[in-house]
Amino acid sequence: MQLKKLHMLIVAGGLLAGTTFAVVAQAADAPSAADAEKAAKEAAKAAAIAAPPADGAILANTCAGCHGTNGVSAGPAMPTIAGMPTTYLQKIMADFKSGKRPSTIMGRIAKGYTEEETKRISDYLSKAKWGDSVSHANSVTATKVNAEKAKKGKKLVDAQKCSKCHEDDGLTQDEDTPRMAGQWVDYLLIKMQDFKNQHLTIPQPEKMQRAIEKLSLQELEDVAHFYASKK
Amino acid sequence: MSNITRRGFVKLTGGIAALGMVTLPARRGWSAPKRVVVIGGGYGGSIAAKYIRLSDPNIQVTLIEQNKDYYSGPLSNWIIAGFRKLEVQKWGYDGLKKHGVNVVIDQVNAIDPAKKTVGTAGGKSFEYDKLIVSPGIGFKDIEGYDAEAQKKIVHAWFAGPQTTQLASQLAAMPDGEPFIMVAPPDPYRCPPGPYERASLVAHYLKKNKPKSKVIILDPKDKFSKQGLFTGGWQKLYGYETPNSLIEWVPAAQGGKITRVDAKTMTVYTDMSEFKSSCINIIPPNKAGAIAEKAGLTDDKGFCPVNLETFESKIHKDIHVIGDACVAPGLPKSGYAANSEAKVCAAAVVNQLNGKPVGIPSYVNTCYSLISPEYGISVAGVYKLHEGKIVEVAGGVSDGKAEEFVRKQEALYNESWYQSIMADTFG
Repeated sequence: MQLKKLHMLIVAGGLLAGTTFAVVAQAADAPSAADAEKAAKEAAKAAAIAAPPADGAILANTCAGCHGTNGVSAGPAMPTIAGMPTTYLQKIMADFKSGKRPSTIMGRIAKGYTEEETKRISDYLSKAKWGDSVSHANSVTATKVNAEKAKKGKKLVDAQKCSKCHEDDGLTQDEDTPRMAGQWVDYLLIKMQDFKNQHLTIPQPEKMQRAIEKLSLQELEDVAHFYASKK
Repeated sequence: MSNITRRGFVKLTGGIAALGMVTLPARRGWSAPKRVVVIGGGYGGSIAAKYIRLSDPNIQVTLIEQNKDYYSGPLSNWIIAGFRKLEVQKWGYDGLKKHGVNVVIDQVNAIDPAKKTVGTAGGKSFEYDKLIVSPGIGFKDIEGYDAEAQKKIVHAWFAGPQTTQLASQLAAMPDGEPFIMVAPPDPYRCPPGPYERASLVAHYLKKNKPKSKVIILDPKDKFSKQGLFTGGWQKLYGYETPNSLIEWVPAAQGGKITRVDAKTMTVYTDMSEFKSSCINIIPPNKAGAIAEKAGLTDDKGFCPVNLETFESKIHKDIHVIGDACVAPGLPKSGYAANSEAKVCAAAVVNQLNGKPVGIPSYVNTCYSLISPEYGISVAGVYKLHEGKIVEVAGGVSDGKAEEFVRKQEALYNESWYQSIMADTFG
């Protein structure tokens, strides 16, 4: 980590040096002021990235606007991330950052954190307490768990042996497996749609990929209702 | 063991504090509980109050807010276009009370930075060790747009009765008349807000009054998420065709208004005049009235602050957060106010406990709708470097995103709202 930091400082220093050079060059060749401004902006950005990280709480609290206070989401399309293992959260963030995991917005956000910062966020959230999805009276979009669909989902989950990894009806979790019991139905539905979406490739184990291929979108919806119904 | 000791300690210090309050209110013992007063219970103030209590329950926090109910600005444009009810924008302060925040519904009319006191219209006075001011915005004058004119021509830039009034005016507008919206100059609350409003009014017109259109009179030549908005407008509203449902008049083409006449329902620009039974004016913004009254503002009407702590550069121990402060790099958005409040809360707690203020981290995330199923976003992650806020990553939605992405972002918009409101009032 220390080495990495040092490396980043060198990069930042290099960019800063580049700015100085650009300014000198400007006097001779007079390139546009916009170029110099852009270079200065890039240098400030590199220096800011290399600046020391904030505490885990300060970093993780910025997630709450979408993922809820201490990672317990109040929005049906946003996942609760409280209590998930550090390594799992770190991996997801790294995949968002590299673009390996497709996203609408998380890729843009994940790029804002160094490995150390991501680790601190993940550490903090892993220690937060999970909360089952609870819809506020002001929420008009949340899908309610459908008992019929959940029942069908249970059969599909058993047939596909999902519990080999998603143990205890999706309650347990480890570094590769997120908790699904008590997660928001809408979030799970969006993920199921994403899994079936030809335009997207979501990194996942082969076993998971095979199970998804076997199930139709309709069946995956039932699976989502099943896991969301569990607490 | 440590718990018992601490409880004993708190009891003892509480006793000392009570004694101190009775005999020597101005000279509090070193161990007396620290007092923070927060003015304004919106996206900034409520979060500051809550997060101070979450991180140090020994600090006494009083939140003074003038309205019993809070109506969220974000998502209120949906009401104007007729697909959301005002009731679901309404929030209260019971959640903050559960965190031990002393909530006072009253209007602050005086701040004394020397005596460190706050006075209210209700005749109450509060002492503070630290004051956090989160008053939101006020408006600068436009010729002809006086209190009387504002009854007919609303801004609806605070959610509430004006939001439903504008919705009714739009519904009553004859097909063929233009909906005229006057956009504000920078800087102002919610940079994409006027353009989301124009989009959703266009969505309403497309269904209900196809002979009408939205005319945006703008004192600027560019605006937030512009490429995404105009891309969406082209796709959905025939933008830049003869039948466009939206016409944007930038400053360069005479979009800057000079005066308003509410009697004849006319808006004047340098070059032209625009008439309609449905006019919406979002005036130029400045910091909320109390900030100005307390001498916290600069010549532009906003409050300069230290970005590490949000402490005023003018008055010590007074912090200003949210739309009222000057925070170059961060937009005047609800999410930014939330983020600033948390940085400020952490700094205040540390300062009161004699610790270094700590390293800040800020985020902004903001969704807009172009139609109920077409969402776009902007996000940013920021760090402090040499006293300045620097965006280290972020940007807007992909301009070429597929339809399912726009649909997902529209869903995320409502979820964003639920989570940030739970963070604020839960």
